[in-house]
Parts: sequence; structure tokens; C-alpha cells
Amino acid sequence: MPNAIDVTDLTVAYRDTPVLWDIDLAVPEGVLMAIVGPNGAGKTTLIKAMLGLVDVAAGQTLIYGEPYARQRSLVAYVPQRGSVDWDFPTSVLDVVMMGLYGRLGWVKRPGKKERAAALEALDKVGMQDLADRQISQLSGGQQQRVFLARALVQDAQVYFMDEPFQGVDATTERAIVTLLQELRQAGKTLVVVHHDLQTVPEYFDWVLLLNVRRLAVGPVAEVFTEENLRLTYGGRIPFVQAASVNEP
Amino acid sequence: MLHDLLFDYTLRTVALGAATLGIVSGSLGTYAVLRGQSLLGDAISHAALPGVALAFMLTGSKAPLVLVIGAALAGWIGTLAVMTVVRRSRIPYDAALGMVLSVFFGFGLVLLVSVQRHPTGNQAGLDTFLFGQAAALVASDLVVMATLGVLALGVALLFWKEFKLLAFDDEFGASLGLPMRRLDILLTTLLVIAIVIGLQTVGVVLMSAILVAPAAAARQWTDRLGLMMGIAAFFGALAGAGGAILSATTARLPTGPTIVIFAGVLVVVSLLFAPQRGLVAAWLRARRNRTNLREIGVLEDLYTLALQHPTDPRHPHPVATLETMTAHPESVKAGLASLAERGFAEPIGEAQWSLTDAGFAAAAAIARNTRLEER
Repeated sequence: MPNAIDVTDLTVAYRDTPVLWDIDLAVPEGVLMAIVGPNGAGKTTLIKAMLGLVDVAAGQTLIYGEPYARQRSLVAYVPQRGSVDWDFPTSVLDVVMMGLYGRLGWVKRPGKKERAAALEALDKVGMQDLADRQISQLSGGQQQRVFLARALVQDAQVYFMDEPFQGVDATTERAIVTLLQELRQAGKTLVVVHHDLQTVPEYFDWVLLLNVRRLAVGPVAEVFTEENLRLTYGGRIPFVQAASVNEP
Repeated sequence: MLHDLLFDYTLRTVALGAATLGIVSGSLGTYAVLRGQSLLGDAISHAALPGVALAFMLTGSKAPLVLVIGAALAGWIGTLAVMTVVRRSRIPYDAALGMVLSVFFGFGLVLLVSVQRHPTGNQAGLDTFLFGQAAALVASDLVVMATLGVLALGVALLFWKEFKLLAFDDEFGASLGLPMRRLDILLTTLLVIAIVIGLQTVGVVLMSAILVAPAAAARQWTDRLGLMMGIAAFFGALAGAGGAILSATTARLPTGPTIVIFAGVLVVVSLLFAPQRGLVAAWLRARRNRTNLREIGVLEDLYTLALQHPTDPRHPHPVATLETMTAHPESVKAGLASLAERGFAEPIGEAQWSLTDAGFAAAAAIARNTRLEER
């Protein structure tokens, strides 16, 4: 059984500066993994590099043992909420159906089947009533739920999520965590860029500590230690009480 | 006027041609506006000028198809130059646009002047490409414009969902495996077509306005992409035909600027009067909110005073008292007046006011809700 994700020797550079340096990463199937690290650590870039959205200087990413380009149907992506213009003239249902565009094929328009699938995904994030809402009228939490529904409709095995908790209300955060844990229990693999160190042990079972280089990766209980956090954050650990971190 | 439009050959050609270019550039301009690429149209149209002059110099022909192909090639090369500069250097997008626009345009002007000096060039009439001249449109121009326009719109409809994804979230599209860069080039090519078919009528200097203005105006009226495109096409046709007819029937009125003024009026009207996004609607909403807040404030103050007279809740109070209870004493009288209109308060004697039974009940309900929220 190959790993869900295998990254070897991944290096990304913007001009002369390495953003990611020689990353090796093996994520087994059925894991809910956080990527944590300081600002500019390359968390978003790592996800984009694994998805082939940025040019890599070296290295490769395998999804279930095959290059990503051949495994797209197994992968779903939730970009950062702020990466799009929410004043774009379109509806919630329309955005969710975009998750099906890859499968739909060229020129074909989404039909009844796609509508039904999108409504089902919206139901899972508690947004079915807002299907016809214009996206400019959504709150931050609702925007995030729409992006999650768009990924759910892809019906993937591996999910890459870029800060799904960024700027959402407490209710939405709980709802998203529950959803992520349900997906993991269904055998899916999830890789989530995360900012709040406090909640790492509560929400996730694996963690990748990243700061340009890979500093540690593995089960939270083993690698989410104060020593590793110090390595990652250069001595200053933000917002962490000793209690929430496993002593080495 | 209508008779002329139907039976005067020149006027009919002019109106149809200008409407065609308005429809095509209005529709495709929707994507330029939504993708924040409005200035790209300006760069393309200016970059097209040397193409027009070169096409004439190389072929000696003024056939519309020849000039349009020359314009399209040059416009396209200009666009590629912008993209290459942005990708290969540290020069930012707007600087690259400005550079390509002015260098190509300058080159085009040099060529244009030397063509005019040429003995056969005097009748060339290429200078119409600067500010546009609808009166110069003939049937063969119309055929070229309509054919290219239908082609461009057809491709845009064919790749409807792909272009929508490109405009909304191109990285997500790339993650799905769609060739977003090639779609980008295709859409930009359509934009080039939309621009070159309008060059002779509107001119390179102002062509980008007819690309951007109808779409910007249309955005005010709807939140649906398809509808926005339809309205933009309609606005484009309206501005194009209106401006062209006016210019063709009035002496010394340049076509391009007249069309652009028409489009500008549409933008101003849309900005002001669109039902949801319009400034007037926003102002009315704000005023309604202010009135509501003012009413609620005065109602609560009257209620507070009434509670001090448990045996006589309708005991009247002077306006002056109410004015001491708020940070906005100047709004008390207006608030009382609108409360009276709703039947929540009534004047008693001179400058004295009291709650009605309905007003008392309403105030009590508000007070209850406030307490619930505070809990």
C-alpha cells in the first residue's frame, strides 16, 4: 500500500531565495495533518508545489504512488479564502459546481446531476438554504464553507486545504473541524495549513513543522514538542502555553 | 431619422457597424473588467497602430481584412511583450503595460506619418485609425467585423464555464488540470479581435473605453455573469450606434470621442441609479437607517420617561427634556414627527409629547429584546 502522499527532494525558489528547501514528506492514508510554521515558512507554497501550481526547482510529488498529473481525480484543493474576488457576479451553487468542471469535460455545461451533487455538498456544510445567494453577500465563515463544499463535491481521496480556519467565527470553526474529522474517519487524507498552535493537538493527529526546511513530521503526540517548535519558530513560540505542548 | 436609418445606405452601414463593435467589445470587455485587466485593452489597441501602417506599407492595400489582420498581429505581439516583460523581469504589470503601449504607439505614429508623406499615401486615410471615423465604414468592413465578431462571441460561449473559472479562480482551475495558461491566451486573443474590429470606427486612442465602459456599467445592474454580459452587449450597441449616428450626421464631430461620451453617460447613469449598487439607492438606504435609528432612540427615551409615571404612562413630556437625553438633540423633533406618523407618539398641548398605547407596546418590546440580547 503506497502512501497517500510522497514528496521527495522538493525545492522551490523565487529568484535566488529558496522558499522550500529539499523537502521529503511521506503521509500515510487516513491522516489529518496540520502544516504549521511561521509566516514566510513556505506553507502555502508547499501545498501549491505539491499541486503543480508553482514551478519547482527540483523534486517530485506522488499521490498514491503516481505523479499528481495522473491522479487529479483523487485530489481536492481548498485555496485561501482571500485568493479570489468575492464580488464576482456568481452564485453559491455556481461556485460549488466549479469543483466538477474537471470531470465534466470541455464545453459541456453542468446539468441536473451536477446541481444535485453541489446541493448535497452544500448540505454537508450547512449552506443548502443559501445555494442561490450571490457570493458577495456571504460572511467570511460562509465563504469558507462554500470553498469546502466545492472541494467536497470533487469526491476526492486527498484534500489540500490552505488555512480553512482563517477569519471564521467559532461556530464555523467547530463545524469545519467536525467535517474534517468525519472525512478522516472515512479514510480520506487531509493536509491543512494551520495557524493556531493551541488547537493542533485537539484538531489534528499528524503535524508537519515547516520553516523552509522540514523540521519534523509525524504523529502529533511524538513530534509536536516544545523543542521542535523552538527549532521551527527560532526560539519564539507564539501563543503557546507549555501545557498544550508535549514535553520531550 | 428612422427613415434615414432604414433607407440611407451610409447611415445604416454606420449604425450596424458601430452596434456590432459595441456588442462584441461590450461582451468580451466583461472579462477584462472582472479580471482587473481593463488597461490591457488600452495597450492592445495602441499596439495595433503600427500593425495597421505596416500592413498597408507591405501590401499597398487598404482592404479591411488586410488592415485588421495587421492590427491584430501587432496587438497580439504587444500583449505577448507585456506578458514576457512581467514574467522575465522585475518590472511590474502596470509599468510593462505603459511601456509597451507608448513604445508601440510611438512607432505606429512614425510609420503613419511616413505613409502620409508617401505620394500614394495621401488618400490612404489611415489617420482615421487614430480617432476613428464611422462615416468611412462600407459594406465590406461590415462583413469583416460581423464575421470576426460572431467568431469571437461563439468561442466565448463555447468555453463559457472554462472562462468563468479562469476569471474567478484560475489556480483552482489549474488544480483541476485545466490548461489555464492556454485559456488565458485564448481569451486574450478574443479580446484582441474585439478591439481590432472597432479600431477603424472608434480609433486606437479611445478603443479601450468601449471595451471597459459598457461592462463596468452593466456590473451595476446585475450579480449574474450571463446577464452582465448581455447588458454590456446592449450598452455597447447603444453607445456604438448612438455615437456613430450622431457623428455621421453632424459636421466635424469625431466618431470615437462621441461614442465614448455616450458610453460615459451610460456609466454615470448606472453608477447613480442602479437598484442595488447605485449611489442613489445606497443613499436612500443610509437615510432609511438613520431615520429608523433616530425613531428608536426617541421612542426609547419617551419610554424611559413614561416609566417614571407608573400610574400615568401617557404623561406628556416637553421636547426640551427629550433633547437633554440624547447626543443628537437636533434629531429629536424629526424623530417625534416620524413616530407620530406611525401612530407611536402624539403631541399634547405645546411642545409636549406622549407615547400612544401602540408606542408604549412597541417600546416595551424593544426593551425586552435588548435585555434578552444582553443576557
